[in-house]
Amino acid sequence: MKDFFRQNGILLLVIALLLSILIGIISYVMGGTADPLTNLVNTVSSPVRGGIAAAADWVEGAYNYVFRYNELEEELNTLRSRVGELEEQVRQGEEASRENEQLRDLLEFQSRRRELTTAPAKVTARSTSNWESTLTLSKGSAHDVQAGDCVITQTGALVGVVSEVGLNWSTVSTVINTDTEIGGIVTRTYSAGVLEGDFALMNEGKLKLNYLPEGAQLVSGDEVLTSGRGDMFPSGLLVGRVEGVFTDPSGQTRYAVVEPSVTLDELIEVFVIQDFEIVE
Amino acid sequence: MTRRDLIQKWLTYGLGLLPVWLADAYILPRYPLWGVTPMLLPLAAAAVAVLEGAYAGTGFGLAVGLLWELAYPGGFGGLVFFLALAGMVMGAVSQYALSQSFPGCLICAAGVLGLLGLLRVARGLLINAAPLHQLLQVAVPEFLWSLAWTPLVWLLFRAIYNRVGGTRLA
Repeated sequence: MKDFFRQNGILLLVIALLLSILIGIISYVMGGTADPLTNLVNTVSSPVRGGIAAAADWVEGAYNYVFRYNELEEELNTLRSRVGELEEQVRQGEEASRENEQLRDLLEFQSRRRELTTAPAKVTARSTSNWESTLTLSKGSAHDVQAGDCVITQTGALVGVVSEVGLNWSTVSTVINTDTEIGGIVTRTYSAGVLEGDFALMNEGKLKLNYLPEGAQLVSGDEVLTSGRGDMFPSGLLVGRVEGVFTDPSGQTRYAVVEPSVTLDELIEVFVIQDFEIVE
Repeated sequence: MTRRDLIQKWLTYGLGLLPVWLADAYILPRYPLWGVTPMLLPLAAAAVAVLEGAYAGTGFGLAVGLLWELAYPGGFGGLVFFLALAGMVMGAVSQYALSQSFPGCLICAAGVLGLLGLLRVARGLLINAAPLHQLLQVAVPEFLWSLAWTPLVWLLFRAIYNRVGGTRLA
């Protein structure tokens, strides 16, 4: 300890304290944009992160091929029959869409449309903390990614919202993270609520649909989409399915537990919605 | 020790920190054990503080804290000071009360991990994130699973210490 005082150890502690305050202030001021130092460190480490993610994905792929071949073959057969069913549904849907379009023309209604401008990105890192659920993506401000952009899978399921952006990387706060707050709607009953992350549910990989209207008759398996309320996020993005409906401890409001459609641990590629236009 | 020796010594410790950081940030989060990811960076700070003493422990803690804040998402700055202070305390405790050995490192690691866990639980309670038992359900497994990695991190930094640690390069 004598060495500590002789070698100006206190000075080191003061420097640490000042750095802590500086980082705290900068990250508070910068909001969704990464501070210059964080940006630098993450930009420089980006190739390493990408390399490790690619290598790990390859190893996992090889492992699955060798040790889970039968399981994958079974899944392939299930998916093939599912594709057949969906193709039939698409054919029926196309007919219905044509009819719908004709009727809209007849009644001179504005047709509904949904245009999403997306950019693909690789998932290069997953949550490093047990206290939050985040993903790191390979795209950042250099690719026009902004804080608040929604992130979806190739099937349109909501992954989360971009929370911090650096030059060639961004951090996504996933749908199950505790800071999630998005308008949600149950497609079967049109019951609207607020999708919120919950600490206990986050560790089970689920989230809440809060503030359900009185008398909303939800059942397990009901599909939950984003409602688009507030125009911050696009409407109609698939969030998940209702697992159960509960009353909160105060007995005042009911909430539904929602199981997300996306398997966060298995994500490799996602799409960042950079712009959207939805006419309902 | 000359300035060159010092630079060589701390560069070697820095190189030792590299695999710990890569495993902590990019590899282990992909394979959580029962949903729990360990924290290796506080273990690195503990190992070096125990081996090198209070002054070096403070400096290395500061560096580890800076890495943690800058390379991981959601940093708010507090870890830089926390790990620098923890490095000083662990260095001093290992010099005067414990021994500069693995058991000493294990106790220091348990201390710093426990304190981090307590701070996170306290923060969770403060912002009303969840009831205490739910916060503890995350904090306790995280503490235990992280502590289980202490031998590996200790062996790595002990090997570095045996080559360049203390005044060996003098």
